[in-house]
Amino acid sequence: MLSVENLKKYFYTSNGIVHSVDGVSFNLRKGETLGLVGESGCGKTTTGRTIIKLYEPDEGKIIFDNQDITHITQNEMLPFRKRIQMIFQDPYASLNPRMTAGDIVREPMIIHGIPKDEHDDRINHLMRLVDLNSEQAGRYPHEFSGGQRQRIGIARALAVEPELIICDEPISALDVSIQAQIVNMLEDLQNQLGLTYLFIAHDLSMVRHISTRVAVMYLGKIVELADSDELYTNPKHPYTLSLMSSIPIPDPDKSDSRHHISLKGEIPNALNLPEGCSFHPRCPKAKPECRSLDVTLKDIGNGHLCSCPFTE
Amino acid sequence: MSENILRVEDLHMSFFTSAGEVKAVGGVTFDVRKGEVLGIVGESGSGKSATMLSVMGLQGTSGRIKSGKIMFNDEDMSTMNMNEIRGRKISMIFQDPMTSLNPVLTIGYQLEESLRRHKWKGDIHSRALEMLERVGVVPAEKRIRQYPHEFSGGQRQRIMIAMAMICEPELLIADEPTTALDVTVQAQILDLMKELQKSSGMSVILITHDLGVIAGNADRVLVMYGGQIMEMGTRRDIFYSSAHPYTKGLLRSVPNPDMPKERLIPIEGQPPDLLNPPKGCPYVKRCPEAMKICMNQKPERITLSESHCYSCWLGVKNNA
Repeated sequence: MLSVENLKKYFYTSNGIVHSVDGVSFNLRKGETLGLVGESGCGKTTTGRTIIKLYEPDEGKIIFDNQDITHITQNEMLPFRKRIQMIFQDPYASLNPRMTAGDIVREPMIIHGIPKDEHDDRINHLMRLVDLNSEQAGRYPHEFSGGQRQRIGIARALAVEPELIICDEPISALDVSIQAQIVNMLEDLQNQLGLTYLFIAHDLSMVRHISTRVAVMYLGKIVELADSDELYTNPKHPYTLSLMSSIPIPDPDKSDSRHHISLKGEIPNALNLPEGCSFHPRCPKAKPECRSLDVTLKDIGNGHLCSCPFTE
Repeated sequence: MSENILRVEDLHMSFFTSAGEVKAVGGVTFDVRKGEVLGIVGESGSGKSATMLSVMGLQGTSGRIKSGKIMFNDEDMSTMNMNEIRGRKISMIFQDPMTSLNPVLTIGYQLEESLRRHKWKGDIHSRALEMLERVGVVPAEKRIRQYPHEFSGGQRQRIMIAMAMICEPELLIADEPTTALDVTVQAQILDLMKELQKSSGMSVILITHDLGVIAGNADRVLVMYGGQIMEMGTRRDIFYSSAHPYTKGLLRSVPNPDMPKERLIPIEGQPPDLLNPPKGCPYVKRCPEAMKICMNQKPERITLSESHCYSCWLGVKNNA
């Protein structure tokens, strides 16, 4: 459905060039959920935004439904925007406080030229789809709780019947008990409507739960990509290993007995990328040759891709 | 001297806003023992932070303690000079290390400020250097002259910890200390806190919404909801034999590490509006087992064992 090849997005700042996305490639299959995980500054959000062309890509290719959309104009992009929608992290900042819930959901219908006489029926239908009632369409964002606001954001994304939804940290601003509500809703909607998701998040256990496959990003590159169970039970890249061993487990005995691989330092900023494998300064298994390594994702069996050549 | 460092008794605290009285804490009783890590878990609006602000006397001008007692080392805190206590006997770390540090002062100045304030006996500068080294901000001689913006998020949280511990407090309150950090850095900071707690023997109150962080770090756990304590026990009590429907619901709503693909069981509904809190149990509107009595009367606390208790009418009914 979507294929991203060697995508690069750089930001030019007064301090130098930020290599936010530095050669990302992946395919997204129809009906699947691809999880994109990594720590802040790894480029996962920029990747999502570049795909929907909120940012103009610097290099690489974005192919959606066999059509190259990498360098088309904003006008040419419009029909694709109808097919690719986005859900944002912050349900407070992503809804216009001066518009009613109904008008927020209506806006994409106006933009994409859906006949006016269908709007109200659609809004009622969408509100019910996300477990709100149609009377609530007349209310303003401040009258809703965080979880309800995220439902409005989901209804807005669904308003033009998209095929692909880019979910950028859709649950990280919500309370634990509400997160499960939203995750279940996203799963139900996927089954009902045949949606495909790119699910960007840093909560690794939730990503495992919702994703078919998971890609791990570090400093603008995907370092490992595999089926979600395979990735979590059999991680290969040293960064993924450390990431997995750092997930807090809500079980005292398991938490006490597990071995945690701690990393030195923190993710460096993307201004001065380390030479070779960009993870080598923090890697517990780094070798001298890692400084000049050409890291590309290689299939190590059954579609499990890993960029580190030194895995057992 | 008792074995408790802190005792909070039937604390009621409200914020007075233009919209009305927000009853943030509605009758909370608990102890913190010497040398333990007490985890407090709860969602936004559960009253976990408001309780701690009351302990620190930092409830602000809109917040007021309406009734209840807070005892520190068996002494009533309302009679104490809080300026002598804060930073010296009890310290606090906040969620966001970015906004908790003053951007126009060097971190050395901010570290030493607390020592000067509490008339530290000994060389202030060398104590600040020592603490920076202990929390792993090195080379300390160079870093001590730098400003907050020159540090990463994890480094800033290390500095906050150094600052909180510099006067060797007896109690450290950490309010969501790792929520703003990435998982690998979160693990580093939690390890550091654990190590410092063990070597100093201080007590820690660890506030978080992350059940995983609680499971890995707390000796005892307090579960809060809607300004009240729902359940309290050792971490084994809470995770392996939870009694309150809310605790059970909370544990079910996160993915099970053994069955990660299993459908989640969320808690339906929305958190209570503390402007108009329910008369009875705050959880009544979302509780799958709610009864008539839960609507109108606050549940009694039921003791299950020496360490484990919970507040729920269901338990009263089952005991009867």
